[in-house]
Amino acid sequence: MKEAYLELKDLTKSFGSDSDKVMAVDHINLQVKEGDLVTLLGPSGCGKTTTLRMIAGFHTPTCGDVYIDGVSMNQIPPNKRPTAMVFQNYALFPHMTVFENIAYGLRIRKESNEEVKRKVDDIMNLIGLENLGDRQPRQLSGGQQQRVSLARALVMEPKVLLFDEPLSNLDAKLRVSTRLEIRKLQQRVGITSVYVTHDQEEAMTLSDKVVIMDRGLIQQVGSPAEIYSHPVNRFVAGFIGKANFLRAVVETVDAQQLLLRFLGKKIVAPRWNKEIKAGEEVLIVARPESILPEHPSEALVEGVVVNSVYFGSQMLYEVELPDRTVLQIEVADPQYHPIFSQGHKVGLAFKDRSLHVLPMEG
Amino acid sequence: MKHQGRSHIQRINEIKKLIQEPFLLISILVIFYLLILFVIFPIYQVFKTSLSYEGHFSLKNYSDVLRQSYYIRPLFNSMILGVLVATIGTFVGFVFAYAITRTPMKAKGAFRLIATFPMVSPPFVVALACILLFGRSGIFAGAIGNIYGLTGLTIVEVIAYAPTAFLALVGVLQAIDPALEEAAMDCGASRIKIFKTIILPLATPGIVSAWLLVFIQSLADFGNPMILSGDFSVLSVQAYLQITGMYDLARGSTLAILLLIPTVIAFYLQKYLLSKKSYVTVTGKPTSATIKNLEWYIKYPVYAFCIMFALIVLLFYSMVVWGSFQKLWGIDATLTLRNYVQMWRVGKNYILDSLYISVIITPITGILSMFIAYLITRKQFFGRNAMEFSSMLTFAVPGTVVGIGYILAFNTPSPLMPVTLTGTGFIIMALLVFRNLPVGIRNGVAAIEQIDPSIEEASIDLGADSGLTFRKITLPMITPAFFSGLANCFVRSMTAISAIIFVVSGKWNFITVAVLGFVDNSQYAQAAAMSLLLIAIVLLALGLIKLATDRMGRGMQSSSIIE
Repeated sequence: MKEAYLELKDLTKSFGSDSDKVMAVDHINLQVKEGDLVTLLGPSGCGKTTTLRMIAGFHTPTCGDVYIDGVSMNQIPPNKRPTAMVFQNYALFPHMTVFENIAYGLRIRKESNEEVKRKVDDIMNLIGLENLGDRQPRQLSGGQQQRVSLARALVMEPKVLLFDEPLSNLDAKLRVSTRLEIRKLQQRVGITSVYVTHDQEEAMTLSDKVVIMDRGLIQQVGSPAEIYSHPVNRFVAGFIGKANFLRAVVETVDAQQLLLRFLGKKIVAPRWNKEIKAGEEVLIVARPESILPEHPSEALVEGVVVNSVYFGSQMLYEVELPDRTVLQIEVADPQYHPIFSQGHKVGLAFKDRSLHVLPMEG
Repeated sequence: MKHQGRSHIQRINEIKKLIQEPFLLISILVIFYLLILFVIFPIYQVFKTSLSYEGHFSLKNYSDVLRQSYYIRPLFNSMILGVLVATIGTFVGFVFAYAITRTPMKAKGAFRLIATFPMVSPPFVVALACILLFGRSGIFAGAIGNIYGLTGLTIVEVIAYAPTAFLALVGVLQAIDPALEEAAMDCGASRIKIFKTIILPLATPGIVSAWLLVFIQSLADFGNPMILSGDFSVLSVQAYLQITGMYDLARGSTLAILLLIPTVIAFYLQKYLLSKKSYVTVTGKPTSATIKNLEWYIKYPVYAFCIMFALIVLLFYSMVVWGSFQKLWGIDATLTLRNYVQMWRVGKNYILDSLYISVIITPITGILSMFIAYLITRKQFFGRNAMEFSSMLTFAVPGTVVGIGYILAFNTPSPLMPVTLTGTGFIIMALLVFRNLPVGIRNGVAAIEQIDPSIEEASIDLGADSGLTFRKITLPMITPAFFSGLANCFVRSMTAISAIIFVVSGKWNFITVAVLGFVDNSQYAQAAAMSLLLIAIVLLALGLIKLATDRMGRGMQSSSIIE
């Protein structure tokens, strides 16, 4: 495997005094391959932005270090680091034109006027800002300002590009198209990127790797598919997508499968976690699309429909189980399935392969 | 103005609407009468007096004044002093504002308090302290040469007016998104480069506007030059001396107009700069993050400067405290309470008059300013812009000009005011109300503009008329602004001197005038004691008003949810 291009080692940041200490980032370790886009995803206060700012150098780590291309960054101030950031509110210099905004860093580097002009023009063409060079930032739309901010970072040819929730100030439609553009551009340029967001959809569509953070700790690192289908704990399962959590008991374990007992019925699930043993109480993570309501039968878990909504492409159900828990169920292609209304008794079929089993957490 | 393009039909409709709301119509008429009587008329009188000679229109007063170096000198001196004080004061204010907004300095609250304290103390207290320190019998007598003149005045006015620049610049620097600095740093800029290419260009309109504000204050200052100017005569004091010493109303008015012109120019220049604020945050919400790791070679000089200036301010004020307890300053340092007793015996009536008048005018000013603010932000009526202009006018006009205007306007009955007001307590009250109105109106306008008009429309939709809507809906929502207006009005009225000194009389007098009297008689200890009493009263009142606001504040939280 290729050596990590960006590496966080034991990176830690605590705020406040010793007696009243808050661990914003708690000894995290992360390796990012060259050319990958990694998102840091988590609820607000999880430490993702603090981590990003430590990479950029705006926060000094309490302990630990950041390595870029094998070089320790601890002693290097932010203006000397090979990183460039795209800011949440764009942070465009309001007293400079678009061209001068993008050229700012190059001029600081004292590059020749011709060089600056060539580089800025190139990047403006690449990003689709042709003919906007003379505008003032306030004359641009939100999406255009966003691109100027991206151009200003990219033109520096940084080793690592950092994104601090860059899409959160755009409206929903623009957000979707812009994130696709960012992804395409990032892959074309092949630049190693770290992207902070709290929007799971954004993280899923953009990333090579997703890093799920909570309370200053990395919960899981994986590809979007891994994170969705094999979350390592209840937090990750609940944070990414919708999930139903069912308490069950393991009856038997074989090489591939677990046989579980849930509300007196048998359910089969794939065996991912090798530590789970027979007799143990476990948590089944069942995505809404992994459960299918059918006509009641002896082998199926029984439930009563308490709510049913027709969406055209989808049918959404809420089904109450005998133990009073309510499950969220989504059925795609409703035309191919029986439709139930409120009050109907149903039997629930679990799609074996898409279930995921977690050990009970203390 | 956004309503310029109104057609005649709209105008007529506005008038029709007004007639349907008699309370509104009558109050608008009353306010216009009061504004004309107490704001426009006095200033008009100053102009008229300066432009007439032996009963005819003439420019002779001006040509006389401009030909004699005796009169030209003060104009020249005032300008030099204003430029010096504005430049140094803005620099001091900027360094403090930078320290507060951009460095991890400790005890920011304390520095902020010290830096703004001269604003609540009477303006001449610093001059008094300066005499106690560097005067003929001062601790450091002769240390900085003769303090009666440009040097002393500059030092004193910088201490007194740097707070104005500081407050303005804190706002300016806070409006510059720290993310801009981070973005520049991310592009490889050093701290000094960031300062030159980002902070300074963005803050320039604010810096110029702060400079102009201090310049205006220095020009209009009366208390400090009255005490310290010595041979270095300035316009405000000369105009006063012409009128009270020589009974030369024409000369005094002419000097007053010479003082008024640069002040008004500076004021409108400053307003224009503020209205242009094109550079303030362009997009999104500013991030709260600031850069904490500041290089030592920036941090420590800034800290050292702030500590030094804070110590100087503390030194000046502690001199006043210390001086008030000494038997005879510079000669007999025995501690005594005699000064307080003497001060009370001589000045009791002055103190009670000031308190009485300030307590009466504070709520009047508060309510009137809120009401005018409401009218000019929420109501459409003929003459709305004229009302806004005239009610804000006294803000730009130096107190000396207003004071002279009041003598000229109210010494004799006129068609506008059939009785003579001079010598009554009423003239003092009117002067203070209309002098303090602009600040209250400005706060009120800012507060009202933050309220969504649809809330008021809902009230009118449900059947309430304008008056009821104002009382039931608008007023509760602007209560915090109202109370801060009260606090400001009380402080300004207790510490007023430049205009007040013209309208006080044997019957009605003022505490600040009494302090000047003590200084005039070289009774510095008594002056110090009385100044301290004045500061104590002001602080007590501020504390009470803050307590009331906090009480109300709890009830007000619901209103912030509505917004």
